[in-house]
Amino acid sequence: MAWFRPVVVAMALLAVLFGGAGGPEAGASSLGSGPPGGGSQGGPQLAKAKGDACVKDRAWMRRNHMDFLKHRRDETVREGIRIRDESLLNCQSCHTSRTEFCDRCHSFVGVQPDCFHCHNYK
Amino acid sequence: MTMDRRTVLGLGGAVAAGSLLAPGVYLVAAPKPPARTEVKAGRRWAMLIDVNRCSPDCRACTQACRTENNVPLFGDPERDIHWIRKVEIRDKSHKRPSITLPVLCNHCEHPPCKHVCPTAATFQRQDGLVLVDMHRCIGCRYCIIACPYKARSLVYHETHLPEGGNPKVPIRGKGVVEKCTFCVHRLDAGEEPACVEACNRDGDKGMIFGDLNDPESTIAKRVLEAKTTTIRPDLGLGPQVYYKGL
Ligand code: HEC
Ligand code: HEC
Ligand code: HEC
Repeated sequence: MAWFRPVVVAMALLAVLFGGAGGPEAGASSLGSGPPGGGSQGGPQLAKAKGDACVKDRAWMRRNHMDFLKHRRDETVREGIRIRDESLLNCQSCHTSRTEFCDRCHSFVGVQPDCFHCHNYK
Repeated sequence: MTMDRRTVLGLGGAVAAGSLLAPGVYLVAAPKPPARTEVKAGRRWAMLIDVNRCSPDCRACTQACRTENNVPLFGDPERDIHWIRKVEIRDKSHKRPSITLPVLCNHCEHPPCKHVCPTAATFQRQDGLVLVDMHRCIGCRYCIIACPYKARSLVYHETHLPEGGNPKVPIRGKGVVEKCTFCVHRLDAGEEPACVEACNRDGDKGMIFGDLNDPESTIAKRVLEAKTTTIRPDLGLGPQVYYKGL
């Protein structure tokens, strides 16, 4: 695993550099108003969500939405517990554009969730 | 009509929120689904198909299934996906006319597909539904071999949500196995499976769906009073799709 470390460090550096330079560029989109008071400088410009609040606290969502979704999917599919507002189908009612919200951040951090060749999310 | 069938199914209550003018037309906006639903253990979803009513050229059930669940047809019989299909049974001695009947996943009480699944992707829900957790399926196809009803299909092709498709049902991933779910998303919302609804609306009115463990349900009464059978009961799998007149 030792070979992996420099790669990670280099990627992190690139991300920081790119984050700084990429901001205004991505902001060219009329939707990119940026996270108000968002933690780190730069970062991806995310489309503003509809509604007042996310299904959970925003900072918590940023950190935990992946585990949240995966936990919920086991509960829903296997145990049959459906929570209307917290379903994956419902994210798009506030985060209306996947490309300008989810994907923008995911490509920034370099993750490719493989959920959307089955799940419908515009 | 929707109201009646739901009450019959023991699913009443879900529609009471909006007053129903005509099927699908509400005075107020369509009632929002409940905030949280959970399966009830102790239920036993089952289907009763009256073979005598099923006419050879009717495709109401299979069509409705494809629309509801976005099941595509590739036109390649070897690799097409079928959740429900019409089967013709011919009497070899020609003494009786041939009959047709829909065949679908039997949601067995002792499902062989579940037992062979190496990743526990196929499982039984508390209400007896046998489902595939697509998130876990690795596409090994043991279950296809184990199923005596040929109810399962592997997805060989990339698929996309068709024009006017149903966004509530995920489309499919290449390389996973899938089958009839008894329209689990509709059951959980208090509706009956799309095939049953279509059969009673556009078809030959030969399908009944409900909870066998509820002695008051139509299906429980019918299964008690009429002579019914299942396909290959000798295998001892406890299939839950009953046929009358087979
Ligand atoms: C092979 C296709 C497929 C893939 C890939 C897939 N899912 Fe699913 N998912 C399904 C199916 C089918 C259901 C069951 C839908 C139902 O019962 O309503 C489901 C249900 C869910 C549910 C519960 C229903 C809901 O709307 O909340 C969640 C959450 C979920 N998936 C999350 C994910 C996540 C996160 C990923 C990616 C990491 C993913 N899925 C990838 C097919 C897939
Ligand atoms: C009721 C509307 C609503 C729903 C439904 C909703 N969100 Fe949010 N979400 C918001 C709002 C508002 C914010 C705060 C960001 C902002 O001000 O633009 C937010 C923030 C987020 C953030 C943090 C973004 C950042 O800037 O750090 C993530 C991640 C997120 N949501 C994911 C999800 C996921 C995943 C779902 C589906 C389970 C979901 N949201 C459903 C309204 C919603
Ligand atoms: C603020 C940035 C951000 C936003 C916005 C965001 N994500 Fe994520 N997401 C991440 C990060 C970072 C990861 C990787 C976590 C990891 O690998 O540990 C991730 C991972 C995921 C995963 C898990 C993938 C896997 O295979 O494990 C899913 C599912 C997911 N996101 C769904 C969504 C959805 C749906 C939205 C839009 C509603 C969204 N995300 C918006 C940052 C974000």
